[in-house]
Amino acid sequence: MKITTSAAVAAPREHVFSALNDRGVLRRCIPGCEELTDVDEETFAVKLKLGVAGIKGKYAGTATRQDLLPPESFTFALDGKGKTGFVRGTAAVRIETQGEASRIDCEADVQIGGAIAAVGSRLIGAVARKLTRDFFRELADAIGAPPDVSDQNEIDALPDPGRDERLE
Amino acid sequence: MYPAPFEYLRPATIDEAIALLVTHGEDAKILAGGHSLIPAMKLRLAQPRYIVDIGRIRGMSHIRETAGRIVVGAMATHDAIERSALLREKCPLLPETAGHIGDVQVRNKGTIGGSLAHADPAGDWPAAVLALDADIELAGPRGRRTVKADGFFVDLLTTATAPDEVLVEIRVPITSAKVAYEKTEQKASGFAIAGVAVVVEQGGVRVGVTGVAAKAYRAKAVERALAGQSAPTAEGIARAAALAAERVEALGDIHASPEYRLHLAEVNTARALRRAYGN
Amino acid sequence: MSAQAKKYSGQPLKRIEDPRLIKGIGTYTDDLRLPGLLHVAFVRSPHAHARVTSIDTSVAKAIKGVVAVLTGADVNEKCGVVPCAAAIPDLKLPKHTVLAGDRVYFVGHPVVVVVADDAYAARDGVDAVEVEYDPLPVVVNPEEAIKPGATLTHPDLGTNVAFTHNVNGGTDIDEAFRRADRVIKQRVYHQRLTPMPIEPRAVVASYHAGEGTMSIWSSTQVPHYLRTLLPGMIGVAENKLRIVAPEVGGGFGAKLNVYAEEALCGHLAMRLGAPVKWAESRRENATSTIHGRDQIGYYEVAVKNDGTILGLKARTIADLGSYCQLLTPAVPTLTGLVLTGCYRIPAVKMEIVGVYTHKMATDAYRGAGRPEATYLIERLMDLVAKELGLDRVDLRLKHFPAPTEFPFGTACGVTYDSGNYQGALEKARQLADWKALMSERTAARKSGRLFGVGVSTYVEICAIGPSAAMPAGGWEWGCVRVEISGKVTAITGTSPHGQGQETSFAQIVADQLGVSIEDVVVMHGDTAVAHYGRDTYGSRATVIGGTALVMCTDKIIAKAKIFAAHLLKVAPDQVAFADGQFSAPGAEKTLSLAAIAGEAYVAKNLPPGLEPGLEASSFFEIPNFTFPFGTHIVAVEIDRETGQVAIQKYVAVDDCGPQINPLLVEGQVQGGIAHSIGQALFEQTVYDENGQLLTGEFMDYAMPRATDIPEYILGHTVTPSPTNPLGIKGVGEAGTIGATPAVANAVIDALESLGVTHLDMPLTPERVWRAIHQRTVATV
Ligand SMILES: Cc1cc2nc3c(=O)[nH]c(=O)nc-3n(C[C@H](O)[C@H](O)[C@H](O)COP(=O)(O)OP(=O)(O)OC[C@H]3O[C@@H](n4cnc5c(N)ncnc54)[C@H](O)[C@@H]3O)c2cc1C
Repeated sequence: MKITTSAAVAAPREHVFSALNDRGVLRRCIPGCEELTDVDEETFAVKLKLGVAGIKGKYAGTATRQDLLPPESFTFALDGKGKTGFVRGTAAVRIETQGEASRIDCEADVQIGGAIAAVGSRLIGAVARKLTRDFFRELADAIGAPPDVSDQNEIDALPDPGRDERLE
Repeated sequence: MYPAPFEYLRPATIDEAIALLVTHGEDAKILAGGHSLIPAMKLRLAQPRYIVDIGRIRGMSHIRETAGRIVVGAMATHDAIERSALLREKCPLLPETAGHIGDVQVRNKGTIGGSLAHADPAGDWPAAVLALDADIELAGPRGRRTVKADGFFVDLLTTATAPDEVLVEIRVPITSAKVAYEKTEQKASGFAIAGVAVVVEQGGVRVGVTGVAAKAYRAKAVERALAGQSAPTAEGIARAAALAAERVEALGDIHASPEYRLHLAEVNTARALRRAYGN
Repeated sequence: MSAQAKKYSGQPLKRIEDPRLIKGIGTYTDDLRLPGLLHVAFVRSPHAHARVTSIDTSVAKAIKGVVAVLTGADVNEKCGVVPCAAAIPDLKLPKHTVLAGDRVYFVGHPVVVVVADDAYAARDGVDAVEVEYDPLPVVVNPEEAIKPGATLTHPDLGTNVAFTHNVNGGTDIDEAFRRADRVIKQRVYHQRLTPMPIEPRAVVASYHAGEGTMSIWSSTQVPHYLRTLLPGMIGVAENKLRIVAPEVGGGFGAKLNVYAEEALCGHLAMRLGAPVKWAESRRENATSTIHGRDQIGYYEVAVKNDGTILGLKARTIADLGSYCQLLTPAVPTLTGLVLTGCYRIPAVKMEIVGVYTHKMATDAYRGAGRPEATYLIERLMDLVAKELGLDRVDLRLKHFPAPTEFPFGTACGVTYDSGNYQGALEKARQLADWKALMSERTAARKSGRLFGVGVSTYVEICAIGPSAAMPAGGWEWGCVRVEISGKVTAITGTSPHGQGQETSFAQIVADQLGVSIEDVVVMHGDTAVAHYGRDTYGSRATVIGGTALVMCTDKIIAKAKIFAAHLLKVAPDQVAFADGQFSAPGAEKTLSLAAIAGEAYVAKNLPPGLEPGLEASSFFEIPNFTFPFGTHIVAVEIDRETGQVAIQKYVAVDDCGPQINPLLVEGQVQGGIAHSIGQALFEQTVYDENGQLLTGEFMDYAMPRATDIPEYILGHTVTPSPTNPLGIKGVGEAGTIGATPAVANAVIDALESLGVTHLDMPLTPERVWRAIHQRTVATV
């Protein structure tokens, strides 16, 4: 599943870039983060209690930073799992200057499996958006920018019986 | 199909229920009709440690007229609402909406309060309470408060209800018969892919849309386009309905792409408006 | 067969089995409670393809109530592999162990089994097992899977192609295509489906260590297959193994199988010294019980401009999933048997490629192979008619063999037993009020409505099957015993699970013996009672199993006549039997069957040389398949704005020969059509590109509901089959075979004005809306 997210944060991009690479800030902004520990320079481990409303699960995983290009872009390789499923994939982050503010584009390409994929497919996209929205709201707050996070999100690549590419 | 272990608690009053929620914090969950919570527990997607069953609290399932308003208790079942003679006469949108929910078994157990508190993005009630501009009454350790439907749905499965609050009742205006609910069902679950509720009032209309986005919303652009018109033309309705999905970020899944959902939002808005206006 | 007046056969009797089911007092496998029963649950793979790098069972084992936690390493050496019985030459088979070894090949693949005192502890145990996976590349698209360099489902097989099967029949195919005025081509995708019987699978196993005997109760269609095949898996001899299929809540082919869980439960009962039970959850049923269909086909028809069809070429890619279950590779080959449908098509060439992918296995699902063939040929007939501007009904009529041409040999190599395709078509047109329907269609179109009429004329294969065509015997066994009291016990080797043979077989036996139906009990589904059998699938039970019972009653009457002659003091050939009474000219009295039974067991006055008792058993071997047929006509209207399809009229005329019980026939036809409407309009098993199953619950797998089903107008014609004394043909799958193409043809006909000539199923509102939308946009 591909999840494309964009957000505007009213802060210069150097600021945003370093915040996104600051593990203290990440610990604070990652939704449901209960523990964030360093593995090495590029990799950290997280324990999350994640979900919405009563549908919560505990997940453990790692994020490894790749292709670091300050202050423009980097990629996280993600790998996490819990009792209700797993998530693996990458999230590529680009930051652009837009006047006074910065525009963050995040393109995640993730594989979701287990019970959450089997029974929650209709909600996964929406949950992912909500979590990213929460993340950027916190990020803006951490940077000290106005909390007004405008976002434009897109989810695609769910196979759709109405438009199965195999059939075209 | 076997839930994780939990403890079952059965308060006799709303205050007792609130006290239990305060004591057990986020480990506790209210159980109403159980038709959203129990499936999630059986799949172990939800694993609450304490279940607070509010089903035996007296005086939570009333349907009555008080001071020129219609009051519906949170524990009123979809079925009770569908069958209520009072509602059929004075707030026909509620029975009409109830008739679209699940099947008879679901309607016999599921409650309006549970459905609103759960805020499934494809649930039917949110569209109706938005179009009715309902007042939603919450009771908690800090006392009672009323939230307007418009501000109640915060996000996917998230409402203004705090974890230690109980949704106690819904108050809606008495309306004319100029109401309609048009729904396209998701074929497997029966939930809404796009459900549109319309209430026409003196000098205006309110439109609630569910199933299309992560939370139900008021289609205010449609409402503005029709403001002040008591008998809009067919073209007027079509033009207004085309705004139903304006700036909406639609959900997509194997049952309906975002594009199709947005399209259905417009179609069902036009149909509901035509029926409500008798056009 | 005796010349009995038929009192019960042909009557629409209500089902004898229904009251207990309606009252909820039937006994399904999960209702069994044995002393000391343990509960089984499985840890299943969340990955479609991965290496299992480690399994930690220590936490699970420490949970209160958990008795055992076993992995593939613990059981795979002790249990035989899951069998595939399809006789396909050069079939490449992966080793299918009961639990995954060091790799998993589909989401839902069982990896660890947990046994506990109760079902809750077993489920807690499942959550506590830690399995580490190293995910591997996944292949889910069968057309990708056969390309060079594709990811391999089973790397050790070296290819994803399990087999290639060729059908070359009739006259020279190349010549046919050379002579053609036109060649019409179409790619057709037959989607994957989940059978979803209302009762998922369930198994109870109990081992008696002293006797060395094992009893296994399973929600299965094939208790006798299990008794034949499980001994090799669990090491209990066939004659020490008893299989019981108690009440079974539907199968539709999903329970025509031998599953790992059945063998594992037997193994666990022995290993743990206690009876065990496993009851499948709905999600396990969706991930780990066989799926159906999933074929992609490329078709070419060679035609003359006058519509004459000269030949048919097909290449079918069948997605087998990751393993071959019992009949997985055989199912697509069945498509090749009736590809020419009801039509005279002189030349056929078909290539079927079976392909492994990282999904659950496909196997027989109601109709198995015939729905695919019928859908194809019926879509193709419409395409040909459209392309050549011919009337689609005339085109069909033109290619029907005449009723006098039966037995009719086809280019696919089978011989249709009997038929009157014209008769069924005519009757369907009458019931549909064809002229009025066509004017309605014209009028609707004039006013801009999307109104369509679909026709499908089908022939299918039942009474599966003659032993020569089966992997291991296609006969059926039966036993009839007239008890000392005169009551009659009929035992069948078929295994009804919803078809109603406790009723229809009682009708047959009561008529044969001239007794009251209340005095007949039909027993089945327990190998300790029904010693032999080939079970229920392929619309075979009434034809083959019913005939076996008729053979038994014939033997009983013959023996009873000897008794009667002895008692009436006349020569045996003087005894006549009618209405349950034995009489002879000049004899003072007549004797009832009950009176003779009494004498036969009391045995104080036996005819010389005759054994006591009044019981007979028989095996019936059918000389050929039977070929029921019919015509379905459907009218639909499409909501232009939303793409929703509404069925306006449904007419079905089915010919299954003489009907033993018209109510049961109607029930089978109605259920079959409902299945078909589901496939045509709603159902599809969806895996994402990583092999995750997205239709794992009823929340996402769209079954048709009562409100989706129109009122049916049903009719029938009666063309007896020469293959059996009852002349019957079978009807269990007819609805799923005839109806799907009729519905699809109607929807596509409704879109005709927009230039749509084909759409793949399911014809969901969004798919139809897109077709309308794109055409409208394109033509504006
Ligand atoms: C097969 C099936 C089909 C369905 N189809 C539809 C459909 O077509 N349309 C539709 O709208 N719905 C549908 N539903 C959902 C159904 O309407 C549920 O009953 C409803 O969503 C939840 O109400 P409940 O009373 O069952 O709540 P529960 O399941 O008991 O609770 C749901 C959630 O709300 C919380 N909660 C409940 N009551 C309160 C309260 N008074 N105060 C605070 N929190 C509370 C609970 O803690 C829980 O988190 C379907 C359900 C099923 C099982």
